[in-house]
Parts: sequence; structure tokens; C-alpha cells
Amino acid sequence: MSTRTLVSPAQLARPRGKALYWVVFGLVVALFTVVFLGPMYWMVSSGFKDTQEVVRTPPTLVPESFRPGNYTQAWDVMDLAGLLGNTLFYAFGALAFQLVFDVAAAYSLSKLRPVLGKAILGLMLATLMIPATVLVVPQYLTVLDVPIFERNLLNTPWAIWLPSVTNAFNIFLLKRFFDSIPRELLDAAAMDGASPMRTLRSIVLPISRPILGVVSIFAIVGVWKDFLWPMLTLPDPAKQTLNVGIYSLSNGVPMNVLIAALTMASLPTLVIFLIFQRNIMSGLTAGGLKG
Amino acid sequence: MSAPSLTPSKAAGARHAQPPADGPPQRGGAFGRSLKRNLTAHGFLIGAVLCFAFFSWYPMVREFLLAFQKTDRGEVSWVGMENLETVFNDPAFWQAWRNTALFTVLALVLGFAVPFAVALVINELRHGKGYLRLLVYLPVMLPPVASVLLFKYLYDPGYGLLNEVFGFFGLPEQQWLQDPGLSMLSVVIASTWMNMGGAALIYLAALQGIPGELYEAAELDGAGLLRKIWHVTIPQTRLILSLMLLMQIIATMQVFVEPFLLTGGAGPEGSTTTVVYLIYQYAFNFNNYGAAAALGLLLLVLLAGFSAAYVKLSRAEDE
Amino acid sequence: MRSARFRRTRRAGAITLVSALTLTALAACGTSSSDDGGGSEGGSGSSDPAAPLDPKTKVTITIDCMPPKAKAAELKEWQEDVKAFNEIYPNVTIEGRSTPGQCLEPPRFTAMLKAKSQPDVFYTYFTDLPQVLDNDGAEDITAYVNDGTVPALKDIDPNVLGSLKHENKLYGLPTSNYTMGLLINRKLFEKAGLDPDSPPRTWDEVRTAAKKIADLGDGIAGFGEYSAGNTGGWHFTAQMYSRGAEVVDESGKKAAFDNTAGKEVAENLHAMRWEDGSMGKTQLLKWGDLQKQIATDKLGMFLAAPDDITYMVQQLGADYENFGMGPIPGEKNTLAGGNSYMIKKGISADKIKAAVAWLNFENLTVGKGQFDWARKKKDDLPVGLPQPNFWLNESKKKDDAARVEHATMPVENFKAFMDNPVPGMAEPPKAQEVYKVLDNVMSGLLTNKDADVDKLLSTAAQQVDQVLATQ
Repeated sequence: MSTRTLVSPAQLARPRGKALYWVVFGLVVALFTVVFLGPMYWMVSSGFKDTQEVVRTPPTLVPESFRPGNYTQAWDVMDLAGLLGNTLFYAFGALAFQLVFDVAAAYSLSKLRPVLGKAILGLMLATLMIPATVLVVPQYLTVLDVPIFERNLLNTPWAIWLPSVTNAFNIFLLKRFFDSIPRELLDAAAMDGASPMRTLRSIVLPISRPILGVVSIFAIVGVWKDFLWPMLTLPDPAKQTLNVGIYSLSNGVPMNVLIAALTMASLPTLVIFLIFQRNIMSGLTAGGLKG
Repeated sequence: MSAPSLTPSKAAGARHAQPPADGPPQRGGAFGRSLKRNLTAHGFLIGAVLCFAFFSWYPMVREFLLAFQKTDRGEVSWVGMENLETVFNDPAFWQAWRNTALFTVLALVLGFAVPFAVALVINELRHGKGYLRLLVYLPVMLPPVASVLLFKYLYDPGYGLLNEVFGFFGLPEQQWLQDPGLSMLSVVIASTWMNMGGAALIYLAALQGIPGELYEAAELDGAGLLRKIWHVTIPQTRLILSLMLLMQIIATMQVFVEPFLLTGGAGPEGSTTTVVYLIYQYAFNFNNYGAAAALGLLLLVLLAGFSAAYVKLSRAEDE
Repeated sequence: MRSARFRRTRRAGAITLVSALTLTALAACGTSSSDDGGGSEGGSGSSDPAAPLDPKTKVTITIDCMPPKAKAAELKEWQEDVKAFNEIYPNVTIEGRSTPGQCLEPPRFTAMLKAKSQPDVFYTYFTDLPQVLDNDGAEDITAYVNDGTVPALKDIDPNVLGSLKHENKLYGLPTSNYTMGLLINRKLFEKAGLDPDSPPRTWDEVRTAAKKIADLGDGIAGFGEYSAGNTGGWHFTAQMYSRGAEVVDESGKKAAFDNTAGKEVAENLHAMRWEDGSMGKTQLLKWGDLQKQIATDKLGMFLAAPDDITYMVQQLGADYENFGMGPIPGEKNTLAGGNSYMIKKGISADKIKAAVAWLNFENLTVGKGQFDWARKKKDDLPVGLPQPNFWLNESKKKDDAARVEHATMPVENFKAFMDNPVPGMAEPPKAQEVYKVLDNVMSGLLTNKDADVDKLLSTAAQQVDQVLATQ
């Protein structure tokens, strides 16, 4: 039996309450299905229409023409595998960098508390309020010529990975979590002669699984959703992300083929999501974000 | 699983107040130990700090400098207020701010309230929760450009599905993205559809953490549904709500891809031109980095004021 | 004692590990494009820029705007050409890059120049030259281009070459040129009872014809216009030219469209969109969208360059016999433009020579590369389009004859366009910036029934003045 919620169980148990509940339930399920699956059905089915039908006014709900060839044509012209591979490479690279650097930083700020730590944290959190797009010009100029190192990161994955580390929100979440780990636990480890690195690895990280899950999802979704930054910093078509690739394609093929391409570009992650949905869901909901 | 809460506990605050290195005195000198401890701590910090320094703090400083500079064939010169003047004299300037305000309000009303309402409803249902949760999160997994292009197609006043649905319910056809009065709302609707999944799930988790006794107590006081939401649900989720509000505002300010692809950025009669889009336009259409930086600086100042107010307000509430 | 020591080393280890990670992260970043300047790779080339490329020279050049997979036939021809080119120059490697959509999008192009990330040989519009020079992006190739390296040089229209010159120095080689005309869908013209062989010649006739075509119903639009992605402003400019007006005045410093001609353009479009309802419901279109409409028989006519038909046939699967062209309505002037390749500043002399050799082979030889009409016919590409055509004299005779001989589409469909040449007029200074501003005029007219024409024009004029003032 689930926990008690807004509507009292007693009310629901009454015949009228029951009937009302089922009506509401039916409406909600229908509405949600239409709102969230409707557009996707429209996408998949339009991908099968011929060039005339796809722009017919009024539109047809069930395709009258059936052109699976759109999908093969879209596959041919899009290089989906390459784009997807690039995107995953950038996303997981960004994840690795964030897990190493941001976890280390949050741990240091929370538990090792160096001098100036609070100031550093403050400076990091200050960036939270600045939309990335505002800084896109100076950031772009920086990536073109990183000071001191004098490197041009354009067309390299570093242009995605290194800036992704400046994720103040993830550092904030991690630090908040680490703050709540009892001091005694770490002190005991220190007494046994464990170094901070070892404490982090063998005590802090294992109990931080839920928050690491959340942070990982945020890190990956961040790269997955980004558009302007990769469009600017990865101009070489062979290195583009899925988003930028689809955008480039949108003007080069007929509408029905484009829609077929959109469908195919959406499929891989939907499949991954459906397979891992339990983990992703519980990661997002159970992990440390309770009010 | 014990999920430590985000609530700033008094205990945590108290711990911070203590001098860091307490404990029994050891040999080796306090200074030496403190130095070592600090070196280690900064060693852990260095990676993130360097990244922030190069890709966040330095660009912020540079934004400030650029705002007062001009680059002409590689020659940099100081121009004082000229860039700011350019920006102020642009006929699109005030329109962009108005649009940004409108967008923020719409995005907050829809992007903030809708996921909360959705979470409330799902939480009340006794069946099919898993299915509904799955549905709500599904759009998050689509490549955003695919979702946006899909919406562009749905919105089309000719062959788009949306007008068809409107017609079915006897509602008048709309021009959606092409109606200067409706374009911004259309952009926000698409954006909400794409992005609400994460927020809804987080609210759902928060709602599940509310002790049922509180509702029972409210019922004993004769509270109805709305009053229960107002007096129990919202106060109980206040912290997560305010955190999400902050995130939503930041996200709102970031929005680029939706208007860029749905309306070409500017929109009908410039009705979807936001400050952020104007910055992009200065930089990459007009090749005027100085003006882009000047406008960015104005937005920075505004946001800094806003976040200071936010921090002050939330402090006051914590008292 | 042991434990204290153990602790210290581990701690130091931790620090070094983290900082080492950071440093390698930053230092190991492969330099991307900054390493291709200078140094002749083969070292065997002649130091005289005027001499043609020594076939022994080993060199790699990168080039963008290679046909993407969506242009299967053109890609196949490109690959054949690379192969043939390599028989003459076996040591030159051509590394092509392709994007499925438009090769050149102004914002990305701006970013690319700023970053100096353009490939060795990069695609540009004629209007891009000032911006390229501002960013010091292109090599002066005057010395490299002569009768020896580009044999047909003397037969290239000097107006076209002139668009690629600044202070008498040559910065690029053309790939195509166009003048805008009125592209029509012959099927819809016939359906609407109009004569597809004599497309409308004035803007009033366009309006009448558009209304007739739109009256066919079924979501068909009579006339279409862009209003996004800078292309709205581009076409607004074309319409101004067609009425004998300009968008920027002689001085190049002031907007010149907030006047009677500008109002005529604006009011005509507004009336067609809102009084006649002949411009379709979908607006905020950009290049590529109208082509999709006309290819699916949803659009009667729009302003276009002839080579749009290649795009429609090859990528959109349209039937080329279905299209025809007339001169731009109004016929005072027509917007003339084109595309070219420029060569990145600072690359080695051998690379420049290789680039010129390739461009000559692919784009500037009658009967070869893009002018190999026999092959185009075999590959089902449209042959018989009046443009691109920048030839004069002997080359023109030869090329024109080949076009007629291998024509895959009825040449008479373009008779009206060919028989009524309209003087070409170059695009305005800071063209892309001006176009961007004028997009707003177009979108205002086409999306707002109550659009205030005067205000749209005066606001845009103010913005264009500002754009022109910043140099």
C-alpha cells in the first residue's frame, strides 16, 4: 500500500469517489498519451508518407502512402551512426571529466576545507546565475586560443569536455551531499591512517551513489541537449554532434525524408531509455533531491 | 536508502563554524600540518578551479573588457561607451528586453507550474504511475533539435496537426509561430513539452516524501483539496520548489535552440527576439563582438542584481 | 612513524594525480587548425608562384562544400573528378568536407573566419569578400592565376572575376554565378489557366497570376517569399532592384529603402499575403523551403536563380520538366551574385598551386568537371539550365553548344528568361548584415495582418544605418 497522499483514501473508497477516480484516471491517461505520444506517432507515421502527402492540407492522420524508402534514404544521407558516436563520445568524456574534477572539488570544499575554499565556492556558484549564451563570445574566443597554453581547441573534444567541468550546479549538489556525511565516519578513517584520496574512494564515494547517479544524468543530458556551443566549436562536419547534424540536414532533403531522419535520430536514445528507465528514474527521483 | 536532504541543516552550519583542524594536538607543528592539509585540499580542487578559471571566470572578465573594446582587422582599441551606445540605439533593444520578460513569465507559468501539476496528478493516481512517469520523461530523451523540428511541423498552419486538433474541438485555427502575438507562447509550449520531464520527476519524488499525517491533520481541520495543496503540499515542498524555480529561471535565460529553429530566432516582427538572441546576432551575424559583449554585460548586471535579491529573500525566509 | 610516511606519500600522490590530469587535459589538446601554415610538404615545387604545380609535389588540401550524400549524383561526379585529377597530380590529396544542407550559413561562416578554422580551400558567396578580408582570411592569388594555370581565364566574364577582386588583387575563383528570375511551376500554371511559356513580367501580373493559382485551393500558394535566415532580406533586395531601386545608397553608408519603392515592395507583398491570400499560410521560410513547396506542387512561383532547379531535382526528387523561368518582374535590374572558392591565408605555395589546379580542373574548364554536360545527362542531372554561365567568347560558344546538345530539360522553358536579359546588379555592402535586418521587414509583412509598413521600413533603415556605420 502506498503512502497517504492528497486525496483521502476514505473518500476514494466510497462508490462515488471510486467512479470519479476512474473517470479522472481514464482522462489523465488519455490526455497524457495524446500529449506525449501523439507528436511521436505523428513523427513516425509522417516519415512513411510520400512527398505530396506529407505537406497535404489538411493533414492525414493515417498515412495513405507507404514509403519505407524514406527511412533508407534518410539513413544513407545522414550518417546517423557517426553523429551518434560523436555525441556519445563527447557526453561520456564530459561525464568522466566532471566525475573526476567536480567530485574532487566538492569533496575538498566540503571535507578538506582549504583556505579560500569558501571564496572559491562562492565564485563557482556565482557562475550559476550566468546563462552560458551570454558568455558565448568570450568563451568562444578563449577556446580559439587558450591563454598560457596557447592551444586552439576548435574541432577537438576538449572544447566540449573542459568547459563542461564548470558545472557549478553539480558541484553544489555534490558538496551538499558530502556535507551531510557524518564527520565521525571520516575521522575514524583518518585515524586508521587513510589518506584523503583513500577516504574519498572507499568511504565517501560508495555512500554517494545516489547523488553520483543524479550528477551523471545531468552531465550527460547537458551535452546531449547542447546546440549552440557544439555548433560553434565543432564546425568540421565529421566531428559534429547529432543535434548539429540534424540541423544541417534539415535544409537538404525533402520533408518526408527529414522526418524519417528525425525518427531514426530519436530511436537509439529512446531504446536506451526504455531499457534503463528503472535506473534512470530511480536515479533522478531517489537521489538526494528530496525536499 | 537514506537520501540526505538538501535542507541546509543547522548542524551543518554549526560544523562549518568550528575551526577546521580540531582534535588532539600532534607533533609537527600546527603550521606544518595546516600547510599540508591545505596543499592536499587545493590539490583536489585544482582541476575544477583551472577549468573554471579558463572557461568561466576569465571569459567573464573578458566579457567586461570586450564591452569597451573594438576589434578592427585584428587591432584592438578602447572605445569607451561606444558599444553600449550602439546597443542602446538599436531599435530592437527594448523589444528584446520586453520579449525576454514575456518569455520568462510564460516559461515560469508554464515551465514551472505545469510539471508541478503533472507531478501532483500522477502522485494521486493509484494505477499506471510507471507508465505516466515514463511518458512525461520520454521527450527529454529525444535530441532537442529533433523535437523542435517536429514542433515546427506540428505548428504549421497548413499541413500541421495542431490546427487539425483544434478544428476537431471546434476551436479556431491559429497561426502559431507566425502570429506575432502567439509566437512566444508557441515557443514556450514546445520548450515545456521537451524539458518538463526532469522537473516533474523531481517534484514527484518530493511529493512522495510528504508525511501522510499532515494531510489527515488538515482534513480534521476541514480543509478542502485546494487548501490542502496550499497549506500542506506547497510548504512541504517549498525548498525543492525554490531550488527548481532558480534552475528554471537560469534555464529560461539560456534558451536558444527553440526560438532559433522554430522562428529563425527573430520571429515574426522580431517577436521572439530575446536578449540572448540579440547577443548571438551581434556576434555572429553582425560580426560586432563589442556590442555583443556590451549587451551581455547589461544582462549580467541585471542577473547579478536578481540573484542578490534571491539570496537575500531566501535567507530572510530561512530565519 | 610508518603510517605518517605512508600518509604523506599518498597525499602527494593524490595531488600530483589530480594536477597531472588537469595539465595533460590542457596540454594534450591536439592543435586543430593552427598547424597547417607554412612549410612545403613535398619541397619540390617551384618557388615561382606563376608556375603551375609540379606533379611531383606531395601535398594535401582540405576543401569544403564537397557534395553531401544527399546529392548522390554530384558526389559521384566529384569522386570521379578527384580520381581523374589524381592521374595528373598523383601526389595531391583532396580532402573534402560536406554538410547536408547549405554549405555556407552566414553566422557559422562568421565564426569560422574569426576562428581561422576554414579549410585550405573554402566556399564563399561573392558578398563575403569584404568580411573575409576584414578577418585576413584569404590569400592573394593574383600571381598564381594566369593563362598557364587557368587556361580559360581570358574567357571568364570580367564582371564575375571583378566580384572576387579587391584593389586589383584576386582573392578567389568562381564556381557559379546567377541572376535572379521568376521560377514557375508549369503544372500549376496550366491548371490555373495561365500560359507557362509567358510568365508574368510585371509585379501586377505576378499578383493576378498568384491569385489565380492560389484559387486552386488545396493549400497551394501562388507566390512565395522568404522571411528568415537572411534570405528574406536577400529577396527584398532583389525586389527593390527589380523596381530600379537600391537598398543602400551610393555612399554605402545609408539605407535607401525607406522610400516609395520600398513601400511599393512592402505594400504589394502585404496585399498579396493578406488581401489576396495568395502567398500561403506558412511563413518564416528560408532558402530551401520554397523549393520544397514548389517541388511538391504547392507553390506557383518565386524568385530564384536557375540552379535552384538542380537542388530540386537532385535532392527533392522533383521533375525538371515541371519548371520554367521568366525574367525578374519589373525588369529594371536584377540581383546578380554567385559563389566562389577562396584560399586560406598563410598556407604553403604548393598548397595554393594545388588548390588552383583543382579549382581549374573542377570548375573552370569547359567540358570538364561541373561543365561536363554529357556526364551530367548520363547521371540524370538537369542539363540546359541557363546558369551558372560565366563564359565569354570561344568558351561560351563551346559550352552553350554542349548544353544544348545534352539538354535533359526543354530549353524553351527558359526562353522567356534568356530572351529578356535584365542588367545584373551586385549585392549591397555588408550584404548579410543588411539582409538580416531586412528579414524583419519581410516577416512583419508576411505574418502580421496589421503590419505598419512605414514603421517596419523606418526601423529597419535605422538598423541598417547602424550596421553600415560600424566598419
